[in-house]
Amino acid sequence: MATLLILNILWQVSVLAIVTIGLAVVFGQLRIMNMAHGELVMIGAYAPVMTSLLGLPGYANIVVCLVTVGLIALLMERLVIRHFYGRAFDSLLATWGLSILLRETVELIFGRGYQSVPQYVPGTFSISGTDYPLYRLVVMAGIIPIFAGLYIWYRKSKIGVEIKAMVENPSLAQACGINTSRLSAGCFIFGALTAGVAGLLLAPTIRVEPMMGLDYLIRSFFSLVIGGLGSFEGLFIGVGIIAGAQSTLGALFNQTYGYLFILILSIVFLWLRPDGIYRRS
Amino acid sequence: MNNRFLISIFSAAFSAVMLAGAAFAEVKIGVLVPDSGPAGLFGPSTRHSAQLAAAEINAAGGINGEQIELVFADVGVPPAEAVQAALKVWKAEGAEAFIGMHDSAVREALTGLFKGGVPYVYTPVYEGGACSEGLYVTGETPSQQLAPVIPFLMKKEKVRKWYLIGNDYNWPRDTNALARGYIDDAGGEVVGEEYLPFTVAEFDSSLQKIRQSGADGVLITLVGGASVGFNVAFASFGLDQQAIRLGTLIEENTLAGIGADNANRLYSSAGYFSAIKTEAARDFATSYSEMFGEDAAPLNSLGQSAYDGLMLLAKLGNSAGSLQVAELEKVAEGISFESPRGTGTLTGRHVAQTIYLANGTGGTFDITASFDSVASAEACP
Amino acid sequence: MVSIAGLSAALLVTLLLVPELFGDFAAYQTGLFLIYAIAGQGIGYLWGRTGVLPLGQAAFFGISAYASAHVLLSIQSIYLQIACFCLIVLTAGLLAFLLAGTVFKGRSDSGPYFSLITLALAMIAEQIAGTATDLTGGFNGLSGFAPIAGLDQFGNLYYLVVIAVVLSTLALLTLERLPAGLVARSIADNEPRLLLFGFKTHWIKGAAFALSATLAAVAGILFANHQGIVTPTSSGFLLSANLVIWTAVGGRNHVLGPVIGAVGIGYLSSELRDSVAYWEVILALVFILVVLKVPGGIAEIVTGIFQRFYSFTSHTVSKSVLVPPSWQGKPAQSLSFTGSRVRAGSVTVLNGVELVTPKQGVVCIIGPNGAGKTSLLNVITGGLRLVEGELHYGGQKIHNRPPYAAVKSGIARKLQVPSVFSSMTVSENLAIAMLAGRAGFTDFFKPSTLRWRSQRLSDLLATPGIPLLDGIHHRVSELPQGHRQFLELAMTTASAPGLLLLDEPCAGLSPAETRHMTDVISQFHEANGGLILLIEHDMSIVRALADHVIVMHQGAVLAEGSFDEIRANEAVKSVYAGGTK
Repeated sequence: MATLLILNILWQVSVLAIVTIGLAVVFGQLRIMNMAHGELVMIGAYAPVMTSLLGLPGYANIVVCLVTVGLIALLMERLVIRHFYGRAFDSLLATWGLSILLRETVELIFGRGYQSVPQYVPGTFSISGTDYPLYRLVVMAGIIPIFAGLYIWYRKSKIGVEIKAMVENPSLAQACGINTSRLSAGCFIFGALTAGVAGLLLAPTIRVEPMMGLDYLIRSFFSLVIGGLGSFEGLFIGVGIIAGAQSTLGALFNQTYGYLFILILSIVFLWLRPDGIYRRS
Repeated sequence: MNNRFLISIFSAAFSAVMLAGAAFAEVKIGVLVPDSGPAGLFGPSTRHSAQLAAAEINAAGGINGEQIELVFADVGVPPAEAVQAALKVWKAEGAEAFIGMHDSAVREALTGLFKGGVPYVYTPVYEGGACSEGLYVTGETPSQQLAPVIPFLMKKEKVRKWYLIGNDYNWPRDTNALARGYIDDAGGEVVGEEYLPFTVAEFDSSLQKIRQSGADGVLITLVGGASVGFNVAFASFGLDQQAIRLGTLIEENTLAGIGADNANRLYSSAGYFSAIKTEAARDFATSYSEMFGEDAAPLNSLGQSAYDGLMLLAKLGNSAGSLQVAELEKVAEGISFESPRGTGTLTGRHVAQTIYLANGTGGTFDITASFDSVASAEACP
Repeated sequence: MVSIAGLSAALLVTLLLVPELFGDFAAYQTGLFLIYAIAGQGIGYLWGRTGVLPLGQAAFFGISAYASAHVLLSIQSIYLQIACFCLIVLTAGLLAFLLAGTVFKGRSDSGPYFSLITLALAMIAEQIAGTATDLTGGFNGLSGFAPIAGLDQFGNLYYLVVIAVVLSTLALLTLERLPAGLVARSIADNEPRLLLFGFKTHWIKGAAFALSATLAAVAGILFANHQGIVTPTSSGFLLSANLVIWTAVGGRNHVLGPVIGAVGIGYLSSELRDSVAYWEVILALVFILVVLKVPGGIAEIVTGIFQRFYSFTSHTVSKSVLVPPSWQGKPAQSLSFTGSRVRAGSVTVLNGVELVTPKQGVVCIIGPNGAGKTSLLNVITGGLRLVEGELHYGGQKIHNRPPYAAVKSGIARKLQVPSVFSSMTVSENLAIAMLAGRAGFTDFFKPSTLRWRSQRLSDLLATPGIPLLDGIHHRVSELPQGHRQFLELAMTTASAPGLLLLDEPCAGLSPAETRHMTDVISQFHEANGGLILLIEHDMSIVRALADHVIVMHQGAVLAEGSFDEIRANEAVKSVYAGGTK
């Protein structure tokens, strides 16, 4: 049974990491507290629904997801977000408004009902005598190289360096010929796309409905708080603590205690270590 | 266009309104539906069912010879705002009776508002025990959904070990307290009981506990999205091979969200399913789709309950010759009415009714069994 | 004063007319919105004045409502009920005070984190309210109690709500005019300056949060009375968010903003929710637009329109009031650094400073950029921590203290870039400066304290060439850089400090202004005595002022002596390869 607990924790960590990465990028690089992040996950999860409505084949899911979420993110960035770079608190309010807007819009188009998304990879796989959903194993195996790739890309690529420069000193970066406006927009859209992909990946394993975003937002936010805002290493530490604590406490006691524990832990961190466990030097 | 022409149009329109008023709108009934919030999903089917009931009541001569008009208000909001909405319909619009399809917190607030001053029929499935003057309940209570169903399922599916899982609030806790008794009586045992907060989005640790417990039956009192999420995860772990599931709030929308792949051996117990094949139920479904189109919000036990609520109210009003609570109270006990669910009889402010057990395998409900005239153990003394 | 009375009376009359004009139902409805508005006023005050946004105000609202429900359910005596309600309000205030004071202690940048803490608290409150069925009735809530004193929920209880909202408006408007309000307002503007004036800002934020929690608690008590039922929704995330939205749309900078927001949006919502399918979408759009375009909300638009027709700039120049002596004005001591070392990350900023200053006189610190001059001052006022070595002032060890402690030793500081309260008028800036080191607790609640002006400050302002008196009612943000330098100097010298730290006071000044500045500094020194530590690049100023010169280089003292000795020093010459600027 320990195997199962470990696999469950790994799955929770993977899920939370892929949901949180976009939030971390947008907050860490742009100082935008994106309260509409959960809604972007939700729209990603609606991609299979749109694909089947459009009569497209299953593999078009990813295209539909990226195009829809990308366009929405572009609109959000151009019309609202770009006015709030560096203003964490005003951005929180504005994106809170955006989250209501997105939720209501999806509701108007698809209705309030639950959507059923068929399993992409059905079946279970037996690990040391325990059945485990095959799809989860596939996703977990896929997420690790994706994150490794992202990490290396951010460290090594020219864009990575430009982003770091922009974070350190926006006006100097601009003076050095970096198009900060386009770079910021790119950053935001990238963060949004990861949210969309997270939604798409999660869709067959969860409920899909307009209100689902809030569940993911809260846990992601508190992962960021605990891990330290805006670094890869901190992100994984925070996600690990939140997902691990919730799974373990849920297994040992009950989920209500798990939930309360996370909230209390977050308060303690916000109070004593507001920069999180992992501090950037 | 000259003035005389305008005046003639206005006077024609005016007299049409007056005539319509005289012919149709003599008794206003407030219908409180969840248009927003978590239960907003049930808003449209509730409205439609109420409208269908009103059309049938009016066609049959209304209440005490007066046509009824429905006044809708959104109560899918916190109790404080719901009270405001209801008060507006009551005092400003002059509603003479209320039908309510909303959660228990709003019901508690509304009984505090009405205080027996106006008849109030509460229609959704709920935990039981609501007793006050002028309040009549048509919805199923836990004892009705479980007393006949648990022994039946335990025999049919050879279930012995039950795991009880629900959201962390009154309704699931009350339901499970009763369920323990029925399981005991039928020779089974409860191997686990668990409550999850509304905010929970992952069910891994619960599923792990269910596997470890060796349960072969799971009683689900999770609501809405949590129920969908739980059932999807349940099936993905292959637990549908280990245990049957029984839900007391899994209706057509929830089943659609769970999906055909994940609904193997999933049972639901309720007073209404769109799959009921009795003549009354089929007539109801036909009228519903004729009136609101084939694409109308799908029928389900919560939405349909508004129809029962209005039918009971009409029967009460016609028997008492008035909609005054004092008059209704005199005739209420033992009164019977017909609905797609079958015959309902008001006993102790609650309705003894037919209970259906449906199997969701394959993604659509099939009626497995029905139990006639099941009385509620939570009825008022 | 007239405007306080006028505004409150207008509010009172308007609200009293509601039942007369629109009937009991409208009054009942308005009552609920007014209850929310009281909680909103608390948010507006905290957010608009101190810049701290509370995201979990429903926790205080809900817990107080639950407590009130228990009081109404189990206590019969009306006096005991009132006593319990008072106790609830006091407890909420005290808890909030301790919470905010503790969180903000030692760090002034915790604002956003604090907001998230309050949010988490509201989520905890909601979860417990829904789960602890024995205490809270669970999801279905606590009900079955009647309002206090046999009032009618649908009738005369409305007047109690009106009294409460008028009283809270009156209280907040009055607070705005008191020194306490001025200080609270200055936190959002320039907290570091306030710390240097010796204010323990974490307790001020604690007090402001306590005020907002108190208002939330009052609203919660009224809510329980008004509704006769309390459910988990009244303590949770959604109500918290709605309170913030109402406050933002109504206007957080005006006392009546939250009232406009809560009543306006509440009323429109109840009217339009049923009839307009897109109502939630419209509301979301309005909210986004407000945050984007009109941060001050509807109140800002309304006051803007009023000001177009009626000018409020009727500043009466009131007579100054004599001030109590500053308890900062202690005789100067000698400042001694021994082996002082400071590191910032991997960079060593001060590298073993050994320095003993004279007890009196003007000591100039010179040195190339990055020599550690400003860091030296930062160590004195507690902005930088020593990792090694010590700093003594007289006999007292003063390193590694919080910034607000410097004032107690009679140390005042002027920063390199003028640090003043730029959203306030010159006279308000000076008023805060006069409070520093002088005002006792009760003085913060006396309007007369705002007119304190020491003889020395009056003299300084009257000095020819000092440009402050003309624009005394102008906002500081409208002043040119040079004027701000004089303002900050006036503010730091107002407390008659024994040790005055001046960081390039002449930066950005014209030659004429520079002359005035040096005159003012030497006049201050003649009158006040004590020790002045002055960082300067301009050697002509150093020559004019310095009794003693210290040269810093690479985080240590390179040389010290009289101006002429330093000029002749070979080591200094080699560093300075040029001498005068």
